[in-house]
Amino acid sequence: MTQREKNFPELLERLRTQCTAIISQYEEKRSALLPMMHLFAQYEGFVSPEAMQAAAEMLDLTQAEVEGTVSFYTLLYRRPVGKYMLQVCRGLACSVNGAEDIMAYFREKLGIGHLQTTPDGLFSYEEVECLAACDRATCMQVNLEFVYDLTPRKIEEMLDAMRAGSYEVAAMAQTEKPGETWSIPQDAQIADGKKSRGADGVARPNNAGGVGDASGVIMLDNIINRKVYRFTGTAERALAEPRALVDIVDEEAASAGH
Amino acid sequence: MPVTKVLTEGIGELDLCSMDVYRQRGGYTQWQRALREMQPADVLALAEKSGLRGRGGAGFPTGRKWSFLPNDRNPRYLVCNCDEAEPGTFKDHMLLESVPHLILEGMLIGAYAIASHHAFIYIRGEFKRGYEIFCAALEEARRAGYVGANCCGSGYDLEVTVHRGAGAYICGEETALLNSLEGKRGEPRLKPPFPAVEGLYRKPTIVNNVETLGYLVPILERGAEWFAAVGTERSKGYKIVSISGHVRNPGNYEVPLGTTVRELIEIAGGLRPGRRLMAVQPGGGSSACIFEEHLDWPYDYESMAKAGSMLGSGAFVVFDDTTDFVRAAHNLVRFFAHESCGQCTPCREGGNWMERVLERLVHGRGVAGDYEMLARVSGTITGLNLCPLGDSIEPFLKSVMQRFPEQFKSRIAAVGATA
Repeated sequence: MTQREKNFPELLERLRTQCTAIISQYEEKRSALLPMMHLFAQYEGFVSPEAMQAAAEMLDLTQAEVEGTVSFYTLLYRRPVGKYMLQVCRGLACSVNGAEDIMAYFREKLGIGHLQTTPDGLFSYEEVECLAACDRATCMQVNLEFVYDLTPRKIEEMLDAMRAGSYEVAAMAQTEKPGETWSIPQDAQIADGKKSRGADGVARPNNAGGVGDASGVIMLDNIINRKVYRFTGTAERALAEPRALVDIVDEEAASAGH
Repeated sequence: MPVTKVLTEGIGELDLCSMDVYRQRGGYTQWQRALREMQPADVLALAEKSGLRGRGGAGFPTGRKWSFLPNDRNPRYLVCNCDEAEPGTFKDHMLLESVPHLILEGMLIGAYAIASHHAFIYIRGEFKRGYEIFCAALEEARRAGYVGANCCGSGYDLEVTVHRGAGAYICGEETALLNSLEGKRGEPRLKPPFPAVEGLYRKPTIVNNVETLGYLVPILERGAEWFAAVGTERSKGYKIVSISGHVRNPGNYEVPLGTTVRELIEIAGGLRPGRRLMAVQPGGGSSACIFEEHLDWPYDYESMAKAGSMLGSGAFVVFDDTTDFVRAAHNLVRFFAHESCGQCTPCREGGNWMERVLERLVHGRGVAGDYEMLARVSGTITGLNLCPLGDSIEPFLKSVMQRFPEQFKSRIAAVGATA
């Protein structure tokens, strides 16, 4: 049992009153789920399995309902992250104003890519969608506080201040040592030995990974490449290894001479 | 220059987050007047007469939207949509952090107009600072008796709940927002039933944008005629336009609807020296580009539609001759692919496939037929989805492919090369 897990019951007792207050604001208590997850993450640094279980119990939901919901939202990290979450805007208005260079600078300075955490657990880095601050491009958020008009010099000073513990934005709680990434699809990719290299490494075409996704891929590949596939694999294999389905059909197509 | 300050009045000069400052400038008097002198139906009639249309993107007439509520069903809810995430839009972010009391007063008036006793504001997860500012403003207003049981001693009860999202563009779509507010995945619902009939907790619900609700305050103060006197035939009043991209002074500018495209560019300081205008995306990431020939067109709902685009949320992104439109298209397609909720196959798969194709074009590794295929696939996605997200992938791409085909075609590798 980790220290965080040992501390959890005490944290839960401490936050129970606040949770009750949140629940009372809504006509149906399930509405309290996101606010409660924000609350626990504030103390634990991420949305822990224990926090999800506690929410399930308080809101009369199954754990699947809670995790299914939590996994939809990019700001609810289900794995530990760095003390400084650096989220750089890659939106179009920032992009035409130099965001590519800013992102390259971050990657070089931190030595990590998109959705990764530095080995010392200090920084997590993500390239995010439009942050609604296009008039101050290029922009970013540090632990959800905005930083505008980025320049290499500003970034350098910011990172130094964070390392020295003197940065103006407070570090996030960190109750567990973060891994290489907090993103679950990317985590699986790393486990597969396919090391991610920045933004290009995100699993595609769809991270959800169900049979339906694979069939959609085939359907679209039919349209896109005007290829006709013959799939002879078994349904069992498709269910057991949904993501392999695409490769099977590709092999089939290759051997059929397409 | 036609810049007018209505909602933006005092921003940057005064601390309008303070209730005292807001009240010194007449804040909350319209809310008190509505409670004292008006029936909900009077407020609704006023909104209808003003010609106010939704400022969040769809441009639907606000009064008419409210009138869809069934008369006999309670409870009913008002939800203020502050989940601003349309690429290029940054007005609600500014309003939330600068004039929280104005937003709250607009919400109170809007809720009263539909005879609701519980209003919600859904704030984008990333706007943590704005969320804290709004919560503080709400507490001040609650202590002053403007919110809660027996508002201002009128006997009317109105509770307000602040709800923060957790990172999902799609939650700006009203039915996805309602699902998210119910503690579910932010997946859009099939319509009908529309929220006005079955919304939050399956009860009649109106979802209005921050800016839309904000305009209720000056409309009550100065009258529907004042608002309807500016603008064009079917686009009345003012609009905050978020101007960004290749202009010298990007920012939020409040102007009468019908201000020309050229004037908007000039308001934002014009292009950088020596640069030439290539395109403007006038209504957020979901809108098609307009070009040089539209410079003297009025910026209003009907003209932008006639130009083949839309006014949307008022995000006005300017592109000069340094723009690589293949990269720009890749950027937006990647955005929609990333933000697709995954319910509808055309949007979920189509977006991802187009992103891959555009990625190889960006790197000059396109293959023969890519240009035609992009057009075909984007056209296939459009119209086959539950919500407008999937349909938003095509407009920008199509408009720049038609206008700058050489930028795309030159990225197709020589014959014989493979992707």
